[in-house]
Parts: sequence; C-alpha cells; structure tokens
Amino acid sequence: MLRVENLTKVYPNGTQALKNVSFEVKDGEFLAVIGLSGSGKSTLLRCINRLIEPTSGKIYWNDQDVTAASAGEMRKIRRQIGMVFQQFNLVKRSSVLSNVLTGRLGYVNTFSSSLHLFSSEDWKRAAASLEQVGLADKAQVRADSLSGGQQQRVGIARALMQDPKLILADEPVASLDPVLAHSILKYLEQLNKERGITVLCSLHFLDLVHRYATSAIALKGGELVFQGLPKQIDDAQFKAIYGQEAERVSII
Amino acid sequence: MNESGNTPAPSTNSILITFSSLILPGLGQFLLKKRQRGLVIFLAALISVYLIDWSLVHQNIGKVTLGGWVTSWLWLPLILFWIWNVMDARALLEARTFNIFPGLACIAVILYVIAWNVTDVKLNRLVERFNDARTVSTNLLNPDVITISINGNDKICAWECMFTYVNDKLAGHPVQGPIRWSDNFLAIIGTIKDIPAPSWEVKLGLAQPGSNVKTFSSGTMLQTIAMGLMATIFSTIIAIPVSFLAAHNIMSRVRGGTIIYYLARGILNIVRAVDTIVWGLIVIVWVGLGSFAGVIALTIHSVAALGKLFSEEIEHIDPGPVEAVTATGANLIQTIRYAIIPQITPSFLAYSLLRWDINMRSATVIGFVAGGGIGFFVVETVRMGGYQQYATALWAVVIVIVLVDYISAKWRESILKDQPQKVQTAKRPFFNNLRLAFYVILGALVFIYCWNLSGISLKDLFNPGSNFGQLVKDFVTIDLSSDVLKPVIQQMIVTIFQAFLATTLGAIAALPFSFLAAKNLTGRSRLSAWIYYATRAMLNLLRSIEALLYVVIFIFWVGIGPFAGMLALAVTSFALIGKLFSEAIENIDAGPIEAVNATGANRLQTIVYAVLPQIVPPFVSYLIYQWDINIRMATIIGFAGGGGIGLTLTTFFGSLEYHKAGTVVACIVIVVALMDFASARLRQALI
Repeated sequence: MLRVENLTKVYPNGTQALKNVSFEVKDGEFLAVIGLSGSGKSTLLRCINRLIEPTSGKIYWNDQDVTAASAGEMRKIRRQIGMVFQQFNLVKRSSVLSNVLTGRLGYVNTFSSSLHLFSSEDWKRAAASLEQVGLADKAQVRADSLSGGQQQRVGIARALMQDPKLILADEPVASLDPVLAHSILKYLEQLNKERGITVLCSLHFLDLVHRYATSAIALKGGELVFQGLPKQIDDAQFKAIYGQEAERVSII
Repeated sequence: MNESGNTPAPSTNSILITFSSLILPGLGQFLLKKRQRGLVIFLAALISVYLIDWSLVHQNIGKVTLGGWVTSWLWLPLILFWIWNVMDARALLEARTFNIFPGLACIAVILYVIAWNVTDVKLNRLVERFNDARTVSTNLLNPDVITISINGNDKICAWECMFTYVNDKLAGHPVQGPIRWSDNFLAIIGTIKDIPAPSWEVKLGLAQPGSNVKTFSSGTMLQTIAMGLMATIFSTIIAIPVSFLAAHNIMSRVRGGTIIYYLARGILNIVRAVDTIVWGLIVIVWVGLGSFAGVIALTIHSVAALGKLFSEEIEHIDPGPVEAVTATGANLIQTIRYAIIPQITPSFLAYSLLRWDINMRSATVIGFVAGGGIGFFVVETVRMGGYQQYATALWAVVIVIVLVDYISAKWRESILKDQPQKVQTAKRPFFNNLRLAFYVILGALVFIYCWNLSGISLKDLFNPGSNFGQLVKDFVTIDLSSDVLKPVIQQMIVTIFQAFLATTLGAIAALPFSFLAAKNLTGRSRLSAWIYYATRAMLNLLRSIEALLYVVIFIFWVGIGPFAGMLALAVTSFALIGKLFSEAIENIDAGPIEAVNATGANRLQTIVYAVLPQIVPPFVSYLIYQWDINIRMATIIGFAGGGGIGLTLTTFFGSLEYHKAGTVVACIVIVVALMDFASARLRQALI
C-alpha cells in the first residue's frame, strides 16, 4: 500500500509544484493521475521513488517511510518500484537486451554488473520480459532502431525485470501515436490484473482514464482537486480540473 | 565416423570455419556472413604482418636472436591475434559474440611498440634536457616587449624589470633608465617611420618631391591578419560558382552535368588533401617568396574546403521551394536566384566565417615556407635563437586567434539564429542609407589596405616563375622508381605513427580535463565553476597555437626529429580532444540516467549503464577524427624540424627535384584521402 501525506515540493527557483497532497493507493489498484501540463503530475510520481526530493510531507510504501530511507534502503525500495517514462529513456546506442537488463541493477552486485556480467537467471528473465511485451525477436538490435511504440514496450520490459510491486508510469502514451496508446496501456492493464501490480499512471485523455483506471486523482496547480472513481468525473468536475475553456476530446 | 554422419552439418561446418580462419584471418567470419568483421580482421592481420616485417628490416624494431635465427618478438602478439580470430570464428558459428578486447589488445601492442620506436620517443631526453625546457619556458613567459636603456645599453625589460620600474616610479625613486617599446614588438605590431613620399601624395601636392613623410608601417602580425582576410574573401568568391558545379542536385539538371559533378568533386578532394603549407611550397615556385604566395596558398586550400562545404549545403536544401519555382515555368538561373540562393545565404556566410578563423590560424604559419607574415618572422628569430622575441610573437598570435575565434563564433551564431527578418515595405530612412554608405566605404578602405599589406601583385600572378613549367612537367611525370618510393613510404609510415601516438597521448591527457570542462558536471558550486572556466580557457589558449609553432619549442627541448613533432601534435590534440570530449559529455541525454536510477542502481552502475554507452561511441569517433587531422598536420611538421614526410618534401623542393617532390605529394594525397574516407565510414558506423 502506498500512502502520501501532506506532500509538498518547492523547486529552488520558487515554483511550488505540489501543495499539501495526500492520498492513498491500495494494492492492486490502477490509479490514474490527471491534470493539465505543469499541474505537478510528473513531480508527484518522481517524489514517490525520490528521483526528486520532496520539500516536506511523508510517503509510506508498505508502511516504510520512503522520505526517511537511507541510500541503501532506497535502493531496496526503488527496485520494487518500476518506472515507465514519457520519452522512454532508453540508452539509444545500447541493444534492446542490454536496456532490459538494466532493470536488474538494483538486485545484482556492483562489481560484476560493472563488467556486464549477469546470472543466467537474469538472462532468462530478460528474454521472458521481452517475450511478454512481444519483442523477443528484437533483443539484439539497437534501441534507437525501434519505433516509438516498440521502445515504450522495451521500457515496460525493463520495469518488469525489477519484479515490481508498483509501476509508476509518467505519461507513458503522450509521445505515441493515439492508435498505439491502447496497445501500451493494455500491457499495463494486463500486469495490473494478472500479476496484481499496482499501477500509478498519469494520463492526458479522459476516455483512456475511463477505460483503464480503477480510481483517479486530479491535480490542479499542485493541489489535489479530485479523488474518486473515474466515472465520478462529470462535466462540472471536468471543468474544475481543466478550466472553463476546456472541451472533452476523445481518441479513437 | 558414424557419429559425425549423424550430425553432419555442424561439425563439417565447424572444421571448415576453423580451418579457413586459420589459413586466412577473417575468412571464417566472412563465410559466416559477417563480412565487415571478416574484412577488418583480415586487414588488421595483413597490415600487422607488413609492419612487423618492415620495422624489423628497416629499423631493427623488436629484434631478437633465437639460436642464430634473427626474428622479431612482435610475431608473438600476432600469433595470439591469430588464435583469437579462430576462436572468434568458432564463437560466431554458435551465434555467440566473442569478446573483442583480446584481439584489439594484440594489435595495439604491435602498433604501439612500432609507433614508439619509429617516432624515436626518448623519454630520457624530457628529463635530461629539462634545463633547456626551463630556459625555453622562462623565455616564453618573459616576452621581449619593452626595452630599457641603462647607461646607454639597451636591455629587454621583462616582468621583473617592469615591476622594479613601476615601483621606483610610484615611490618617486630615480628609475634605472628610460623605457620604450622594443624594436621586436614594433616589428610585430607596426611602427611610424619616415619614408620617401609616395608618388600619389606628390601628385596631389600633399608633399614635396623627394621629401620624407611620417607613415605607419605595419608589423608582421597585421600583415598576417591581412593575409587571412584576403584569402577568405577571395576563396569565398571563387568557391561559390565552383560549389554549384560540385552540387549533385544542380548538375543532374544539366546535360552532361554528372560528369562535371564528379570531376569537380574529385578535384576539390585532391586539392583539399594537400595541406595549405604544402601548397605554399608549390606556389612560391610560381610567384616567388613573400606574403602574396601565402595568400594564394591559403586561397587554394580554402576554395577546396569551402567548395565542398558549400556544395553539400546546396545538396541539402529544401526541395519544396525549388519544385514550386520550377512549376511556375522559371528556368535554371531563375530557380537558383529565387529558390536556392535565399536558402543558402546564411549558411554560406557562416561557413566563410568559420573558414576565416581557420585561415587566420594557417596564416600564422604559412610564412614558415612561403615567407611573409608572423610565420616568417618566427623562422628568422628562432634561427638566431631569439626565444624571447619568439615569445612576443606567440603571445600576439594567441591574442589575435582567440579574438578571431570569438568574433567568428558569435557572428556565426547570430547569422544562423532563426530570426524572422523585418520586411521593409516603407522607404528606408535617410540615416540608414548613410550608415550603409559608411560601412561600404569602411569595408572598401580595409580591403584596399589589406590588399597592399598582403603584397598582392597581379603582375606576379600572371608571370609564373621560370621553374614553374618544370614543376608542372615533373608533377605529371612523377618518379616512381623504388629508390625514391622506398624512403617516401618509410617516412609516410613514420608520419602516420607520429599522428597515431600523438592522438593517443593527447587523448589520455585530455580525458580528465574533459570532465572538468563539461558544464553539466561542473558549475554547481563557485569553486567548480572556476575550475570549469579555467579549464576551458586553457584548452582555448592551447588550441589557438598551430602545431608548427609548438614544434619550434619542442625541438629546443628534445632536439630535432619525429619525437619533437609528435609532442607538438600531442599538445594540439590535447586541446582539441579536450574540447570535443567535454562537448560530448555535455550532450548526454539525462533520460536514461533517470531511468537507470529509478531501478535502484547505484552511482557506479548508473555510470556504466547510462553514461558510458552514451559517451564511448562519440569519444571513439572523435579519436578517429583527431587521428585523421593529425595525419594531415604530421605531413607538415617536418618543415619546422618535426620529422616525418614534411622533411623529405622540403628537401626535394629545396634541391629542385620536383619529380621526386611530386611523388611525395601524390603519396600524401593518397594517404590523406584514404584516411579521410576510412575515418568517415568508421565514424558513421559508430554513431
């Protein structure tokens, strides 16, 4: 279970990205985080695995205080939390397989991994992860030779290597063609339903939220303005989250 | 037998592949459809065999005597390479990849041992002659700028003396003697002299016939600036029409244009492969020694370099507007005028400015062979052992080049910035025209001044020297007999290894500094920001001095020969590689670092998996690029005593043996063009 209490983030330049945000995610949920660009969605997700240091507030992951964790503890926490990025964040010049194997770095010792030595179990796990996202035949090619949708699937395979209990997905489909959005989100849904992995996913399109999420929160200017079920977001809620000018659009 | 009958394909294949790689390295890989890998292994083995044999026969490198049998111990790493190659082929057969590092290491041992010996590296000299080095560095830090006259004796007044002088002056004590700018300094900057009145002043009635007038007479540094400027202007003007002939998308529209295209490209490539300084040697036969020869040499090389850049720019323009203008019924000339020229003007200007920067650097050393400019001044002063005088010239060069570098970079930046230009619909205001007129007149005056200063003489241009016909004839019928070709090839190998070793040394030295000069790694605290600026400044200062000017310093330290030349190249490589590496580090994509971090990886793992894969390929690519540049530079460092093919070339030119000089030039063209091609292909494969 993930619990966020009074989370606040102020950047050195004075921007207040998160204001006193509190919410809870139960195990096995698919939580959508919605809000306009710049509303603090990315900051929120990155505070959870402390890629960004929160200014104040607490984050509890299975009752362990993430904000107080030491470097060694943080390594153990991070390896349980997979992350998928908007820009995929693959090492473009490395092979697909090599990128997937990086997902195992939190588990293996520093010395042997520095020499690119992995156990045969890890190699099998990498092959299985690629199999899961349907890219088994692309293992040896360079990451930048894949299409955007394929690169994001490699990103998911990398997260799977961590054997994660939670996946943070930061706008995973925003850089992709709308038609590919469903294919990526279906993989996340499958992991959520079949393996019981909790998913926190920021999304732009409301119809994707309705289709995939089991619950939702909304941020506006760094504040939590909605918490509930996706279907509870009616027109009035919608205007409150996105502003009076906004119009609903749908993809596909 | 029966067993192999059951599984026939793999084992026969295995034997076949092992055997073919054993008799010919790379053949097994080639047969397994890894054509490139096979070819590279084959070439590496072939070149190694040649080099080991050559270095044993000609230089006694690696010589060992085994029971009366003389051989080279360098065959040992080659045998190891051979074994590695067989194992690699067998691994490929099982679709595994074999570690390439053992193979690379074997070849590296062979190459570095030979490089170390042929470039005559004598580390003991660096230590033994350390006092000489200290003398040089003391002289370099105390340039001859101010002269003090003590009791009628003129002395150089360097820092210490100036300090005493200023102290005395401030304290009101009597000073040691009057000071003035030294003759040396005035020779570099310029001085006001009494000279007989020029005829035009007499005609205008400004001066009496036969009388003297005070005139500013420019120094060698100003002359150098003028040479660089004139060469840039001339080469830009000539390169524009040439570039259209070498642009494929233009020439393919004209009948017979493709032939002209290949011809133009070929000529540009050959001309470019010959360094400016080598052109200087050829040009002086035509117009004689002097700054004009320097301007022509700079112009010839620049036309080739700019012609290539310009034509590539033309080939990469947006075809949309061309299509649209053609569709209106415009002819070729109109299409060029309205669809192509507006697209290429900014980048042409930017390339010319870049070339101005390069020409200024070359202009500082062209005087080594062609006469004129600060290079000629340096040769003269060093010949007389005037290292303090040389130091003044060096500092003048540093200041001018750093300035030119800065102006050229800023100017290029403002040209290439995509600013929507204001379209003037109303009549221009009067003062605008006035300002324009002012700039035009100023430009014209500068042009005329530089024209005179750089000694341009159309008369000399159209009256080739008496030997020039002989030179052209001899260059066509070059001497390819083995007693010429053998020493030339030998010196060429030395030259290539000089470049190779210099690149390695420069890179090793540059690696730590490149991290200090990367803005994304430093600049967080005030101290590290200072380190960043200090490292950048040092790299820029070192980079502003041409290799030939460094050679002059190093021959004083380690003596004339390839070692001095190699060290000079290592310093210039250090400066350029440091800059390129730090830029590669600055261009790292932060995304993968974040992603690897998020998996729980620690710092070292993040570096190995997210940082190194991003910087190693550009680093290797820059190393190959630097080696390519260094081979060009190594062909000329011999002119100042740096050894290698340059020495051979000047000797042949000096003794008027043009048919042999032609062989050398041809050899340089072939090697440089091959390296250029190979390095471009390799770098393409890496990035």
